[in-house]
Amino acid sequence: MTRLLVSRIGQAAVVLLLAFTASFLLLQALPGDAILIKYQNPEMGLTPEQIAEIRVLYGADAPIWAQYGNTLWNFLQGSFGYSVQAGVPVNALLATNLPPTLRLASLGLVFAVLIAGVLAFAATLAPFAWLRNLLQSLPALMISVPVFWLGIMLIQIFSFRLRLVPIINPSEFQALILPVATLALPIAAPLAQILIRSLDEVQTQPFVSVARAKGASRPWVLWHHVLRNALLPVLTIAGVLFGELLAGAVVTETVFGINGLGRVTEQAVSYQDTAVLQAIVILAAVGFVLINLVVDLVAPLIDARLKNPVGASA
Amino acid sequence: MSNLDLFTTRRPELGLSKLRQLDVTLVLSWAVVAIAVAWAVAPGLFTPHSGTVGIAGNQLRAPDATHWFGTDEIGRDVLARIIYGAINSLSGAVVAVVVGFIGGTSLGLIAGSVGGRLDTIIMRIVDVLLSVPGLLFQLSLIIILGFGTVNVAIAVGTTTVAGFARLMRSEVIRVRRADYVEAAFGSGGRFGAVLWRHVLPNSLGTVIAFAALQFGSAILAISTLGFLGYGAPPPTPEWGLLIAEGRNYLTTAWWMTTFPGVIVILIVLATNRISQSLRRTP
Amino acid sequence: MSLISSSALRRTVQPTLAAVLLTSVSAMAVIAQDQPVTGGTLVYLEQQAHTNLYPPAGGFYPNSGILNQITDKLTWQNPETLQNEPWLAASWEINTDATEYTFKLRPGVTFSDGTPLDAAAVAKNFDVFGLGNKELGYPVAEAINNYDHSEVIDPQTVKFVFKAPAPGFLQATSVIGSGIVAPSVLEQPYAELGDATKIIGSGAFVVDSEVLGQSLNLKVREDYAWGPANIEHQGRAYLDAIQYIVTPEDSVRIGALLAGQADVIRQIQAYDEGQVEAQSYSVLSAPTRGVNNNAVFRPDNPLVADIKVRQALTAATNSAEIVQTIFSSHYPQATSVIASTAAGYVDLSDKLVFDLEKAKALLDEAGWVPGADGVREKDGVKLELSVYESLPQPQSRATFQLLSQQWAQVGVKLNVLAGDAGSAAVDRLDPLKTPVVSAMVGRADPDVIKSNFYPSNRDALLQKGGLNPNATFEDAKLNDLLLAIASEPDNAKRLELAGEAQVYILDQAYVIPIFEEPQVFAAAPYVHDVSFDAVARPSFYNTWLSPR
Repeated sequence: MTRLLVSRIGQAAVVLLLAFTASFLLLQALPGDAILIKYQNPEMGLTPEQIAEIRVLYGADAPIWAQYGNTLWNFLQGSFGYSVQAGVPVNALLATNLPPTLRLASLGLVFAVLIAGVLAFAATLAPFAWLRNLLQSLPALMISVPVFWLGIMLIQIFSFRLRLVPIINPSEFQALILPVATLALPIAAPLAQILIRSLDEVQTQPFVSVARAKGASRPWVLWHHVLRNALLPVLTIAGVLFGELLAGAVVTETVFGINGLGRVTEQAVSYQDTAVLQAIVILAAVGFVLINLVVDLVAPLIDARLKNPVGASA
Repeated sequence: MSNLDLFTTRRPELGLSKLRQLDVTLVLSWAVVAIAVAWAVAPGLFTPHSGTVGIAGNQLRAPDATHWFGTDEIGRDVLARIIYGAINSLSGAVVAVVVGFIGGTSLGLIAGSVGGRLDTIIMRIVDVLLSVPGLLFQLSLIIILGFGTVNVAIAVGTTTVAGFARLMRSEVIRVRRADYVEAAFGSGGRFGAVLWRHVLPNSLGTVIAFAALQFGSAILAISTLGFLGYGAPPPTPEWGLLIAEGRNYLTTAWWMTTFPGVIVILIVLATNRISQSLRRTP
Repeated sequence: MSLISSSALRRTVQPTLAAVLLTSVSAMAVIAQDQPVTGGTLVYLEQQAHTNLYPPAGGFYPNSGILNQITDKLTWQNPETLQNEPWLAASWEINTDATEYTFKLRPGVTFSDGTPLDAAAVAKNFDVFGLGNKELGYPVAEAINNYDHSEVIDPQTVKFVFKAPAPGFLQATSVIGSGIVAPSVLEQPYAELGDATKIIGSGAFVVDSEVLGQSLNLKVREDYAWGPANIEHQGRAYLDAIQYIVTPEDSVRIGALLAGQADVIRQIQAYDEGQVEAQSYSVLSAPTRGVNNNAVFRPDNPLVADIKVRQALTAATNSAEIVQTIFSSHYPQATSVIASTAAGYVDLSDKLVFDLEKAKALLDEAGWVPGADGVREKDGVKLELSVYESLPQPQSRATFQLLSQQWAQVGVKLNVLAGDAGSAAVDRLDPLKTPVVSAMVGRADPDVIKSNFYPSNRDALLQKGGLNPNATFEDAKLNDLLLAIASEPDNAKRLELAGEAQVYILDQAYVIPIFEEPQVFAAAPYVHDVSFDAVARPSFYNTWLSPR
């Protein structure tokens, strides 16, 4: 187990370095550059010579390999450089924008899992076939709506028409309701679909009938055997969902006009603020690697139990 | 809805009437897709209006007998924009899914079947792909490739490669551990043959479900990119872009964003339904 | 914090008691019309976040919306007469060739940190604005030409000396880019002035707090006693506070206003004006009085190097149709290079007549003949042009799509490009990629023409010696005219030169004027007296809220 852990951590470090390198190259391939974009704006009236001087100031005139080395070295020391567009150190930008996004994303994920779980069980156990059909088609409907559109519609309906939640100057609690709903619904949909499918597949397997024959109620069987089985594919896409949460945050934050990493990301891409983007990539990669480390370590445990279900062992 | 079919085939108590009703939804789904494809092939047959050129003075008209879905800010018929947009949206979504499906499934299949060091290497590459936030990757890729329907589709497809790969691999591993597959290996089956006859067909189920989801998601992802200002250049009619552009007019002209939205929902629901029914037949 | 709770209170009271209070409120409003009420917080929805609050960066609308409340200027340009009147400067003298300006400052003015606003502070400001500061990264202000140095004569008197006549300087002291800030502000690196809390001015409002990119709170300065001398209201502003909230979505800004969650919004789109007026909210529009919203050609691109092609496209442009289809009465059709409300304007609408036959004839003459697909060709090259939509300009995407339709009628293809800010910024400097661009500048002085076209300023045509290092195109005659405008001390002659420049630019068909760009705001019915400076930047010094 320790050896596995050490080897996985080593691999995680390699992934991080590769992600850093790949994103560095990707960002270098962008056609413009932040300094040009910010300072070549005709409103600033700068001559090409003045822009060249600013470039020296930012160290952006060094050869690529030297910039790569410098950036990597600074990153290892926890210094993410300077945002050309915002005019502040990237660390400061992240310090103010990461917490709100983390809060939004974690609440979004929690609600997504809750919605998916409730929906999946309801869709499997509901009393009437038509109701089951209806519930089962809900996830498909939920993902058929673009996130930004969902957000705008929620605002139009709940804030402007029904006037239930203000969107301007909301209280801290009110401020979370619509954004979390906007973020959670589309993420809940694929989770629910996979859960429903897994529940459905598993409950046709022999050990379920055996367990039921032994007197276990259907919900009990589902809960104890099926959920575990369903967990594996869900865990597998957890990493994918992480990326989707960030994408969702970009859109949600833009629609609701709230600050956060998502909006910073979108702005940084638009202005090709590479220092910021590089930091976001590494931050996301660290988050992703951590989640997957946990998933990879937990998955075999679930899988082992799956191979030896209690009901089937009889 | 995936399970409707499973239920009907495996549960006798549902009865014949239920079967017929289910076929109705399937027929409807095929009809929706057929219409969309027909729009894509011969848009001129379905509308007398132009998809790109508007009539000045005709702008922001509410839906009426001439313009069923109303008109947009420079007097273009919204329905005509949707009909002429079918080719862009459908081909965009297909390109995106094909890129993700082919790339991801082959990576996942190799990793899951061969195992060992190759598995580790492939999965670390996939990890790198996954670890870069998808939207950031898409936006950067579009900036590098340039704006346009195909480039946007490729960017969307590329970010799904990793998801397909991981899912395929986990499915392959799951199936490989199933008793009958182990038995097939045990009874001296050749690796390739077992892979082809047992592993692949049994692993594809979940992956195809994922692909079906991705088809709709691709249209939506393209729409989201349009919302962020990274869509196809105007005046290209493209469903996602119509939803994204129309949203600004929501207070005054609800039809500009609502109708394209409804069309996308219908298409996504229909393709989901069809892909599920296809999954049932070998 | 008091401002949030008070606005929350307003909202909870409003729906429940609205019916009961309706009559009394409207009665009060009538009385209140004459008598401004002190107090209250104005919630202002802004489309984009501010970028940098170095005063000369105030050309960007969101920057100026803030700078205008927290800084004062030496002079105040009366929006009605366009004359400069006393503000921080009580009086001034200009020598005959406009190379020396001496300002007597109003006594007793302080910055919000308590330091005096004296001659030394003013001198420091204009030294930086006029010369820039390379170490700290400050660019030269575009409104200031030929600046040489300042002299502090006594604590209340400052003199500015110019290398050459600078007739536009008096007006330049009143522009949004010339707000006076505490000298300590200008000792910080340019890049750090994105942080509003670092900006210390002498204005009627002070920055209280900000969440970068999201919101900004201003509070009133109680001891403010130096508003422009000739306006009625003196003393502190009526409002207690202003809250700026960045709300990028058009539909959310307008929706929030109509739902009673906001008081004033910037950039309401023309198509939503009807909704606003139907609910007796007000649409506030002010002209920017500068270079119009123009489609500008880059003569270095071989496709538009031929004057006949440019003239043909001018004739093929139906700007009346654009204004009627996409805009409203607040967006007048352009009749010259600069707006009809701008200084030095001459009506040149006879040079801008829409005439498809003339356009076709000119293109035929230039050797462009219709190809199989309807697009004109010459030597195997198609007449296909590209333009980027310009995000800060209202409905740029729709405007160019319509223009594209119009040009298609004479066999010219115009691709409207949607691009990320980065690519667009880079491509805009390459005439081969962007033969046409959208450009406008607001400033109520004839210098604005030079600002827009001169190679070392905004360089709209991309001339040699300007922003494009590979440029070969140069129009010496135009540049001489522009320089003359910026240094002719005699005002009548200056306006004449401005007129000549307009005629010359349109004769060369360098630009196609489309509409006079305004800034359009919408306000709730209880918001009174939002005023605008000469270039449509809002000032909330006079603004008050009647009880609701």
